[in-house]
Amino acid sequence: MSFKSAVITFPGSNCDRDAITYLRDLTNNDVLNIWHDETFIPSVDLIILPGGFSFGDYLRSGAMASKSNIIPEVIKHANSGKFLLGICNGFQILSEIGLLKGALIQNNKLKFLGKDCFVKKKHENKFNKLIKKDQVLQIPVAHNEGNFYCSNDDLNYLNDEELIAFEYCMGSFSNSDANINGSINNIAGITNEGKNVLGMMPHPERAYQNFHTSMDGKSIIESLIS
Amino acid sequence: MNKELILQHGLTLDEFQIIEDCLKRDLTMEELGIFSAMWNEHCCYKTSKKWLKKLPTKNDIVIQGPGENAGIIDLEDNDGIAFKIESHNHPSYIEPFNGSATGVGGILRDIFTMGARPIATLDSIRFGEIKTDKTKYLLNGVVHGIGHYGNCIGIPNIGGECEFDKTYDYNNLVNAMAIGHVKKNAIFYSKPKTVGGLIVYIGSKTGKDGIHGASMASDVFSEDDEDDKRPSVQVGDPFMEKLLMEGCLELMSSGLIESMQDMGAAGITSSSVEMASKGNVGVLINLDKIPLRQPLTPYEILLSESQERMLAVIEKGNDEKVREILKKWQIDFEVIGEITNTKRVVFESQNKKIVDLPVNIIVDDAPEYDREFYLPKKRNKRKFDLSNLTLEKMISNLLNNLNHLEKSWVYNQYDSTVMGDTVKEPGQATGIVKLHDSQKVIGASTDCNPLYIRINPELGMIYTVAEAYRNLIASNIKPMAITNNLNFASPLDPNIMGEIVLSVNGLKISASQLDTPIVSGNVSLYNQTNDAPINPTPVIGMVGSNSNINKIVSNKFQSEGDIIISIGENIDPHKSPYFLQDQEIVEDINLYNELENINLEDEKITAKILMEISDNNLLQSCNDISRGGIFMTLMKMIQKNYGFNIKASNDFELFCEYKSGYVTTIKENNLKKVFALLDENKINYEEIGRVVIEEIKINSKNIDYFDIKDQYLNNFERIIN
Repeated sequence: MSFKSAVITFPGSNCDRDAITYLRDLTNNDVLNIWHDETFIPSVDLIILPGGFSFGDYLRSGAMASKSNIIPEVIKHANSGKFLLGICNGFQILSEIGLLKGALIQNNKLKFLGKDCFVKKKHENKFNKLIKKDQVLQIPVAHNEGNFYCSNDDLNYLNDEELIAFEYCMGSFSNSDANINGSINNIAGITNEGKNVLGMMPHPERAYQNFHTSMDGKSIIESLIS
Repeated sequence: MNKELILQHGLTLDEFQIIEDCLKRDLTMEELGIFSAMWNEHCCYKTSKKWLKKLPTKNDIVIQGPGENAGIIDLEDNDGIAFKIESHNHPSYIEPFNGSATGVGGILRDIFTMGARPIATLDSIRFGEIKTDKTKYLLNGVVHGIGHYGNCIGIPNIGGECEFDKTYDYNNLVNAMAIGHVKKNAIFYSKPKTVGGLIVYIGSKTGKDGIHGASMASDVFSEDDEDDKRPSVQVGDPFMEKLLMEGCLELMSSGLIESMQDMGAAGITSSSVEMASKGNVGVLINLDKIPLRQPLTPYEILLSESQERMLAVIEKGNDEKVREILKKWQIDFEVIGEITNTKRVVFESQNKKIVDLPVNIIVDDAPEYDREFYLPKKRNKRKFDLSNLTLEKMISNLLNNLNHLEKSWVYNQYDSTVMGDTVKEPGQATGIVKLHDSQKVIGASTDCNPLYIRINPELGMIYTVAEAYRNLIASNIKPMAITNNLNFASPLDPNIMGEIVLSVNGLKISASQLDTPIVSGNVSLYNQTNDAPINPTPVIGMVGSNSNINKIVSNKFQSEGDIIISIGENIDPHKSPYFLQDQEIVEDINLYNELENINLEDEKITAKILMEISDNNLLQSCNDISRGGIFMTLMKMIQKNYGFNIKASNDFELFCEYKSGYVTTIKENNLKKVFALLDENKINYEEIGRVVIEEIKINSKNIDYFDIKDQYLNNFERIIN
């Protein structure tokens, strides 16, 4: 079975090529690149909303992109139960669309943060099923608004429904706090109720080749295609 | 014309006389503005040209040397690497965030104007002493600005330098470097090919920002200047630049455009004049066609430095196709004029010629000065009292000095892994990126040793080039070529002029001997406030490559038990300027001893052998020895829970500077092979210790590992907050 995937490019997306390369290398298949202005996405197994600064982060990160012409197609894809992954700005867009709970606000130290972070899985889903419990993944982050915030009700809901895919944790030899950006309950990535839509701040597409600082980002695509 | 007006435009009365003699008529205000923009130091290099001409700029691998938007070198197959460094010093002092952000924006445009996709940036930034709130404000603003622009457009920052010294108190330096990948058969030049071609305007609308920016950059500050000059700083929009970059790269690959020129310093004036001059043609531009953000006079349009704008030439009839591509990227596009055969620069507005000047007067008749210069005085030999320096004190002095500390506070504000091809991130000897979908890697380093250059401009410059060279060799990157950014104080002072002349000569000597030609560069003069000059700071950016990513050597410890070797020649403490400065032995610049001579042939042999050893996979790690000596090099090599246990004949030896110095670690069973190669080539080396776990031991004395490591990693943030 060949795994089909697509990456949406918005004006200001800057990890779209990285996401395409990541999918191409790990699925051994061509990847569709869809411009935000299109109104149709051919049937695929996975869509990635990539990182970047869509529309220059005008208004709020992800706000303008959530109104793009392609979005109804993205929602249709998600509602049909197929996989949708938002990385970094893609996570912010998913929050703005309303496919995921909560919001991503400015990092608590008010500075852009570009470095490797450590995460582990909290609740199991199809994106992280090959990752072992308590296994620490090292994956880069690069964001200014990655501080996950939600209401108490939403937080209870995320916990009760087991929708917290990844949480920040301590890494070996790391001397900084586990919680890098102020996210509530160390949340680094969450899913929707159907667990087929994942938003995460770390960039797995920057951690899968042998010259990267880690290859832990592979496990997400490997989980999906296994 | 009114004398005051001429001087306000940064021209001397003599210079103005030359113009009037050539034209044999009165100038219009707009024409005066053009000469002001084109005849300042920033655009015409009137002080430095005489000396820059002497630099080596060619060899087999140089595809494009100085004179274009960026230099390009050959990486075999169809791969070329475009790179350049540029300063944004003055704007970054007046408005640090926008000043530094637009510095990054400008250098990226220089790269993609040549048809190259930017793949990395580096930044070399210098500030005054951290004691003042002003310096903290500048540091925060500059780092934020560099990060904001680069992060948003999505180009990884892979390295640079950040130095603090009191001579930069009133003149911080911000030099940004960018590297791009271009297919050799798809390079774009600024020279237009055909008369009759349409001149088109691509990008942001023109506004009032940056008017007279280039002439401001060629002026000495006085203390109450800042507020007056603020409107001259450009405001950057990285989102617009991202669209412009993608739009331009798509246009270039569509074959619809002939040539392109960035509207950088002095905006449409300099870009159109340079276009005409390079093509030996004329330009006719209708200023009424320029997309405007707000109502502007022709004078303001000519001198605006609004960002994210390009000038291009396309064939007649292609304009609708070009408009269609740019519409997708939501970029303004307007046909504003054409290439003529008049060899004149003509600007029209309201059906009137408001500028009509022969290109050769603006460009070829631009002044070129042979300014008076003094050679530095001979230095007396001195011995200093070092008796108070204990091991603990020397370590503590270094770990409380911003210049030696780990600067993750700076580079963690930069995205260094976007594009997914970063091999070595900032904080290491060499920044390295891989060419996309290839095994080839590009390494780069920016360097300058201003204190050395202050002491001896020629020799100090040779040390600087040698250090950049070693930064690349340490990772097994073959050094290839140089871009330079010559930051100096006022050349009207013959002592400063002497620094310029001699350091350029040092650059010439070292670049020739090391076979690393200069392919692009920038000059920033008048970095002084009242009578306080900056240290001479000719920064160089060196670029190299390795065709096999698997041969890259780490700059950090790899495993316990590896043997630590030092390579090179120790310099006497009394002759190690940074040692004397950092250990607070000497403060007065006049008291330092003369620099020791350095032999570049030794440097080359050591480099050659180290690369051979690296190619044979015999090195575990390698790093160059620079300011802070072996001790700081070892600190930089610590990762995970590794430490070191070393011995030296005396403690000073670990803190002084080195010639051709490296620290390497080697697996015990490879020692023999490595020693044989070093012996055979008469390279100085010494076995100094081992890599150990959670321990730092010097001459059998235990140093608190966790405390020292914490200080090294975190003191920077503690000191600046």
